[in-house]
Formats: sequence, C-alpha cells, structure tokens
Amino acid sequence: MTTPSTHSQSSFPFPPEYSFPPFFTRQTNLTTHHAQLVKWSSLVLAYCRHHRIFKLSLSGSSGTSTTTNQGGTSTTGSGGTPNQPGGGELDTTELFYNQRIDRRLSLADIREVIDFLRNDGRAEYVTGDGNSGSSSSAAIGGAGGAEGGGGDIVWIYWRTPEEWASLVEGWVDSTGQKGSVLTLYELVEGDGTRGTEFHGLDQQLLLKALNVLVKRGKAQVFGQEDSQGVKFF
Amino acid sequence: MFLKHIDLTTALRPSYLPDEDLLYVQDNVGLYEGKYKLPNQQNGQIYLTSHRICYVDKAEPRKYSVALDLKDVERYEFYGGFLKSSPKVTLIPKATKRAPLQPRSPGLAGPASRSSTSSPATQVEGGLRALPVESPPTSNATWVCTICSFSNPVPSNFDPTTANAHTPLPPCLACGIKPTLTHVLKATISNVASRQPGTPALHTPLPVRPRLATEFSATRGSSSPFIQAQGASPQSSDLDASFQCPRCTFLNHPSLLSCEMCGGPLISQDLPAELTQQTRPHTESPGPILNSFGTVPSGVENSDSVKISFRGGGDKIFYERLKGSMTQRKWLLQGAPPIPKASRTRDSLGNSSNPSATTDAARDRPKLGGIAGLEHHSQAMRKNNELVIGSAFEDLEALMASAKEIVALAETFARQVKGASGASSASENALLADSVSQLGLITTKDIVGSSSSASGSDSLYLSELARTLAEFLTDDRRGVLKRAGGIISLVDLWAMFNRARGGVELVSPADFEKAANLWEKLGLPVRLRTFKSGVKVVQSRDRTDETTVKALLAWLRDLHEFPPEREVPWDWRRFGRGVTARDAAERFGWSIGVAEEELEMAEERGVLCREEGIEGLKFWENFIDTGEGKGYKDPKIVEAERLVKVLKEAGFV
Repeated sequence: MTTPSTHSQSSFPFPPEYSFPPFFTRQTNLTTHHAQLVKWSSLVLAYCRHHRIFKLSLSGSSGTSTTTNQGGTSTTGSGGTPNQPGGGELDTTELFYNQRIDRRLSLADIREVIDFLRNDGRAEYVTGDGNSGSSSSAAIGGAGGAEGGGGDIVWIYWRTPEEWASLVEGWVDSTGQKGSVLTLYELVEGDGTRGTEFHGLDQQLLLKALNVLVKRGKAQVFGQEDSQGVKFF
Repeated sequence: MFLKHIDLTTALRPSYLPDEDLLYVQDNVGLYEGKYKLPNQQNGQIYLTSHRICYVDKAEPRKYSVALDLKDVERYEFYGGFLKSSPKVTLIPKATKRAPLQPRSPGLAGPASRSSTSSPATQVEGGLRALPVESPPTSNATWVCTICSFSNPVPSNFDPTTANAHTPLPPCLACGIKPTLTHVLKATISNVASRQPGTPALHTPLPVRPRLATEFSATRGSSSPFIQAQGASPQSSDLDASFQCPRCTFLNHPSLLSCEMCGGPLISQDLPAELTQQTRPHTESPGPILNSFGTVPSGVENSDSVKISFRGGGDKIFYERLKGSMTQRKWLLQGAPPIPKASRTRDSLGNSSNPSATTDAARDRPKLGGIAGLEHHSQAMRKNNELVIGSAFEDLEALMASAKEIVALAETFARQVKGASGASSASENALLADSVSQLGLITTKDIVGSSSSASGSDSLYLSELARTLAEFLTDDRRGVLKRAGGIISLVDLWAMFNRARGGVELVSPADFEKAANLWEKLGLPVRLRTFKSGVKVVQSRDRTDETTVKALLAWLRDLHEFPPEREVPWDWRRFGRGVTARDAAERFGWSIGVAEEELEMAEERGVLCREEGIEGLKFWENFIDTGEGKGYKDPKIVEAERLVKVLKEAGFV
C-alpha cells in the first residue's frame, strides 16, 4: 500500500466560512442547512483534491488524534491510522476542526456531509463497497477502520471512478499503448505516468476505474492479488 | 344638525367625555333622518352612553360616524317593527331656538290632526306618549317603612352606585322616621333586579293600562306626527278591562292612576311605547302625514328627528337603557360640585374635616399646620375609611352597592403596603391601580346587547372586548406596548389587563383569545401573531416580521463596526459576532421568550443562522447561505454553463 507522495506541502487555503463559527453547527433552517451541506461538501472535495486524499477516515478526521477523545471510535481510529492511506501521514483533523476558533463539526454532522456527497456520487463507504474487484486487498489497508466504524473509511471521489477511467484511457490513447499490457504498479507509480493526474492514485481506486473500462469492453484485468495487470483494447 | 360628527379612538370607538358611562352597545343598526335612510349610515354599531348616542359606521368609521347628545333630545319613541320593518327608536330633538320646529306649530299639526282625530285609539296613543315627558322622570322604586309599613318612593336623585353613609335620605312620608341606608339600597336593588328580568316579558300586557285621551288632551298637540302615524289601529278593547296592580295584584278600575289598595302607581311609565307597539298590527305605513311632513319645504329642520333602526335586535334593551339615562340626566351633573359627604365624621371628630370635601378642607386646613396638620389629615382619612368599610360590610347588598369605593380603597391599601415594604414594583402597582380608574369604560357582557341571532350573541361582546383591548394597548398614557418593546405575549397581556380591571369583570382566557383573534377582522391597530412554537404575542400592526428582521440585521451589521468586548479568534470585521436571545432582549426591550421567538423567526427566514456552543445558542448573520449556494449544481453543468458563457463572449452564439 502506498500513500500519496506527491501531495502538496503548501497549506490548503480554507474558504472564509471555515472560520465562521456557526458553520460548525447543524442549521435547522432547511435552506440554510442545504447551503451548509453544499459548502461543506465542496470544502471536503477541495481539501481532498488539494492533498490528494482518496480515502478519509471519519473518526480520524473528527479530531480524535489531536485533542479530545470521542469515546469508542477513538480506539479503532488510532489503531488503524498508520496504515490508512490519506490518513496516515497527513493529519486530516483540521478539515473538520478549526483550532483557531475552537469549533468542530460533530461526527454525526460529518456523516451527514458524507451522505450528502454520496447522494451526489462523490463519496462511498469503503466497507459498503461489495462489488469492488479487490475487496480483499482493500481489507488490508482499511482493516482497522472498516471493522470498527461500520463505514468509518470513506472514498472521497473528487474524481469519480468514471472520470479516472477516462483519464487513464486518454493517457493510453495519447501514448499509443493500446493492446499492450501494463501492471497496476506501473500505471500509478511507474516513470511513464509521472506528470499525469493519476500518478500516485490509490490502487483500489485505480482498480475501480479500470473495472469501469472493463465493463465498457475497453480493458481486461488479470493476474493475482499483488501482481495484477491490465490490457487495454 | 342634530347629528354631529365625532372623533373615534384608535380602536374605532367613540372617544368618551369625562364622566361619560357606556351603557349599551348594539351592532347592525341603521340611521334614518326623518323618514329617509341616511345612505352612509346603514350598517354600524350604536353606542349608548350616559350623555350621548353614538353611531359608528362599520365600513367607513372615520368618515361617517356621528353622535347626538341626549340633552338635545326632547322625546324618544319606540316602534316595535313589523314584517320586514325593523324595530326603531325615534329621537326627536328639542325645539331650542328654532321657531318652526316640530308639531307644536299649528300649521304642522294641521295635517297631523287628520289621523289623530280620526280614531280614538290614536288619541289614546298620544296621551300615552306624552306621559314620559310630562311626568317627572323618577324611578318607581319604593321602600317600605319598617315602622309604619308605608311604601315611600325612593328619591329620584338616589343612585345606588354612589350612595354611601353620608347620602341624605328623606324620612318616611307617613311617620317621619328616617330609613337606614341599607334598607333603601335593598329596595332599590331589588327593584332594579326585578325590572331587568322583566324586560323580555314585555309582551304580557299586564302592567299596561290604556289611558283616556281626554285626560291628556292638553298634551296631545305636542305629540309628533310620527307617533300618530304609527298609532293607526284601535285599541279600545282594553278600555273595559280592569287593571291589575303590579305590586299588590289588586284589580283596579282602568281609569285610576294609583292602586286603590296599596297606593302604588298604576301606569307603568316605563313600558307603554313598546308594549303598544307590540300589539299593533301594522305600523310605519307611509301615510300621508309622513309624506307631507317629509316634503315640507322647511324640512331641513323638521326632518331632524333621527330614527335608529335595529336590524339585529337589541332594540328593547336599548330603549330601556336610553330611558334610564334620559331619566338620570347625567349631563346635568357635569361641572356640578361633588355630592357633599355628610358628616358623621365631623360629628364624631368635632372640628375634623372630611378630606375629600374641598370646602371643608379649605375651611379647616389653615387652622392646623406642619406635622400636626398632616397627622390630623391622616387621622381624618382613617376615620373616613373606617366608616366606609364599616357601612360596606354591614350587608351584602350594601357591599355590592359600594363595591367601587371598596375596590379603590383596597387598591390604596395594597399600594401602601407595597410602599412600606420598599418593593421596587411600587410604581408599577401604582400604575396598575391608576389604570383601574382609567379603565372606567369597560365593556361587560351586560352592557353589550345580545343579537337576535343566536350565533351572533357573543360576537358583539367579543368585538367590543377586542376594541377595549386595542385601546388599552395603544393608550399612550399607559404605554403598555411601548414598555414591552412593542411586543407582548398574550398571556402577559391577559394578566395585565385583568389586573388593570381591578378584580372585577375579569375576562376569561377563552374570551380573551377570541377577542384577540378579532383584531385582524376589525381593522384595529394591533395584531395577534403566532410563533412557530405556538406562542401568541401581540404587537402593533405596523410592526411586521420584515421590520423586525430589518432591525435585527441592522443591529448585527453594527457589530461589524464595533470591536467585541474581548478578543475573538474569528474575523469580526467580516462576520460580526453571535448574539444570544438575552442580548436581543436587552437590546430591543423584549422579554427573553419573545426575543427567542423573533430570532428563530429570522432564522426561519434564512436571515440568521445558529451556533450551538458552550456559551449557549447564538445567532449570527447568515454567511452560510449567501445565495450562491442555492441550487447546488453539478460541476459538469457549471462547466457547460461556463463554456456557453465564453462562447457568448467570443460571439459564437
């Protein structure tokens, strides 16, 4: 399992509402609440895009690792943290916790934001994902969170698998590699893809994207667990 | 003109003169002048007070409301209504300084005499009608002497509501023994009590006695043509019937004026008009007299008589009370010196003065000065209070009669107690106590006539209550609304209102709420508002949600300019700061509950947003939903729109 090595070290420019205290309280007015969800989801997407985070640990981001513990979720969260892609090296606490104004979004409200993203097709619970081709391999990375949280780890699709698929397809087209066989490792870590957007892509997410291509009949995935290859047509 | 334009209060009711008492209210009435309908005064409410009759138009109250002074009324007549014609009360003005006025002039009496001579019944009528004018208007209450059992008339100037221990009472006419106050009071009250339930029973002809016209031939001329027109049917059959004395039931000969047995007056002076009207088969036919009368060239003056047409009932009670106020002639009292309070006080205290009698006070005060004077003064006051209380509790009826005084006394005591204990609310209590007297014109259920339609019986009471409330709220002297920041919860208002009534004629919560719901319909300057949570508040009409929101926003915007009291981590120049319900309550003078509701209302409108923190619930200007978030768009659509825009700018589309 790899973690994104290319994420930008520069700090993420938070939107102004991030320092607006009521932004961290669930609004009761339906219109305002909707606007709040919209702003939060675009913030989450922008944040993950900025740091190239593909999976987000909810309990990890809700601030368990830094200050106050939040009960039962903290144990599983902290146990799984080192292995988690995205959550491993980068502290995502700041996303839902503004230390400067000392306001944090509660876990329930985070889930509401995630649900809002899911309805939009921009997020997906890792454990709830049964049709993933490599659910077994996913279990390695997400084991800690997946067991405890019942959906603690979430895919954040700042690009959906379809979008990733078309990116890969476009790259294969432009480099004239149709018909050739590539390993998955080559695709995300190899020198040939350096400079492309999907360089450093999470392997599981790559597999999801390739499965989209498989369904379209544009590619075929074969091989064993750790040495999977793909052939483009 | 007989009718004068009047000023209305904020609640669209006539503004009363000092000392004026509201006696009766009836809705759904129309006005006639002469025989013609007044086109603009056909649907309104009639207010009978001790001094005036006021008509308030329903559609255009400010424009068409009129009043006439009772002191200008020469006579008043009653017409019971027939088929489609509603019951009417006719008021004929005095012929003051107006030479050609009214049927006294032979020229006008000429046409009238045609019908008056044609049937003996009308002559009877004429005599009967003239009677109330002719005979001194006394209440026919009597008290029976405890010594000799002679029934004495209660003096005409005896008013049970103002009578007290100092009211002079005449001795018994037969034996010369003075009656006790309570005895006379009881007699008066029982008389009033027996008269009131008797009103619906008017149809029973028992107390009525037809009189021979010849007895009153001298006065016949003074009767109005109207009456004679109305009195078209014969009633001669009654002439032979013996007449039962209302007091002892002895059957007297019809020509007798007083009972042979008990000496009681036989002519029920109160009721002749409506009774005879009731039995009359047809009325208000546009007879020749009416016609000629209406077309008299100088009819400007002649048509001055005003008819009030009661389309919704209530006519009889109105007539009764009108009669009462015409008898009392309260307008004569205006400016008159107060009834001297007699002098058991002075008897017992030697040279001590009654503090409320100004003449006495003026005489005695210079004699004493300084602390001695003050002490003397308060001693006299205490003595007087003792007397009042003593006489009031002698008897339950007497207590009822002097209830007003006792209530006022109790209020003063309460104020003194409060003042002694140094309570900070003393001023508030004083204000409430004062407002009791200001609330002199309260609407009670018995003032308001019940409409003939069963469903509408309560509505008039409620609408009057609604108006009273509106006046109470908008009265600048009291400033109820202003002190509450322009908004007050209905429960608070109910408590305040009932307290201001001084414990009498309290309003039930159900009636109160119903009345409050009527404000909107009646077009009064206050309105009832229900918050999301169900809390009902009262505010003036010009204060809408929009203005509240505007005020809140302006306040929050101000907070961008002024730095917060302590350091805040966020950018207060951009976001301002959050406010709690308490802050808002302080700022606008609302109660906390109202402030909460107002803030939530603003939140509901999307103007504010909330922040729940350790410091409690705070409200902020809404920077979350700033408009661009409305209708979250798919990025693809956004992209497509951007493309279209670029193409447009480039001129391709």
